[in-house]
Amino acid sequence: MEDQVPVVAGVHMIAIYVCAVIAVYAALRVIIERNTMRKLPFLNVVSFAITGIIALLLPHPLTILAAAAFFVGSTFESNAIASTWSGGMKRNG
Amino acid sequence: MLDEPLRILIAALICWFNFVTIDLIFKLPERGGVSGATAIAQEVEKGGGNLNGGYMMGNIVSSPDASAGTLLASCGVYCAGLPGGLFAALLVYIGNRICYDPGYAGTTGCITATLIVYGAVQSGWFAASDFIAGMVIAILTIQGLSSVHASRLIARLWKIRCRLLRGCT
Repeated sequence: MEDQVPVVAGVHMIAIYVCAVIAVYAALRVIIERNTMRKLPFLNVVSFAITGIIALLLPHPLTILAAAAFFVGSTFESNAIASTWSGGMKRNG
Repeated sequence: MLDEPLRILIAALICWFNFVTIDLIFKLPERGGVSGATAIAQEVEKGGGNLNGGYMMGNIVSSPDASAGTLLASCGVYCAGLPGGLFAALLVYIGNRICYDPGYAGTTGCITATLIVYGAVQSGWFAASDFIAGMVIAILTIQGLSSVHASRLIARLWKIRCRLLRGCT
């Protein structure tokens, strides 16, 4: 398992650039889109890209915990925003 | 090994087919899992898109589904090999429960993606980082380009899935 972990971050720079460019693009789309509900899919793309960047920059076994925590947290936030905006949780009962 | 940009594009295609197939099998386009997902679907439909496609987009936003599973599996394999990918599946399972999602699309997608990514890395043709960037490109095509066209594409695939596997309402 040890030999699969790159010793120096930066071996896969193109992958990081791809994620970074997509993150900036999606962030711009979030700003440009006027409808709040239609902003959320773009925000989702930003979360994906940032999760990818976290993992690519920090090749360490514990990184997966950080990446998953960030991703699940941001998904939960989107979930909360969408549910609140649509009039609150209707499936509590 | 091929050049990195080419590998990333091929990995994006593999990731795309993995998460779309799993999401369709688990009926994500059928209805919104939570009220937020339904609201997103209705807005997508108002903007000229398709309601079923909108449901799947809303469900992807509201809970970690197979696309999140594929991304976290790639991250897991990149950081810690096969055990990392399987650990990611556990985290996706917990994430599903946190987000009030009763389904298993995320966990299943994460396990299949772990096997695919680990197999691809072992074959020597790909690096796990290709799949991380590939999955970001794959989700961009569904969520980040055009909600109208993406939802219509998903609706078309949803009809094919219903004809092949039945069980749709």
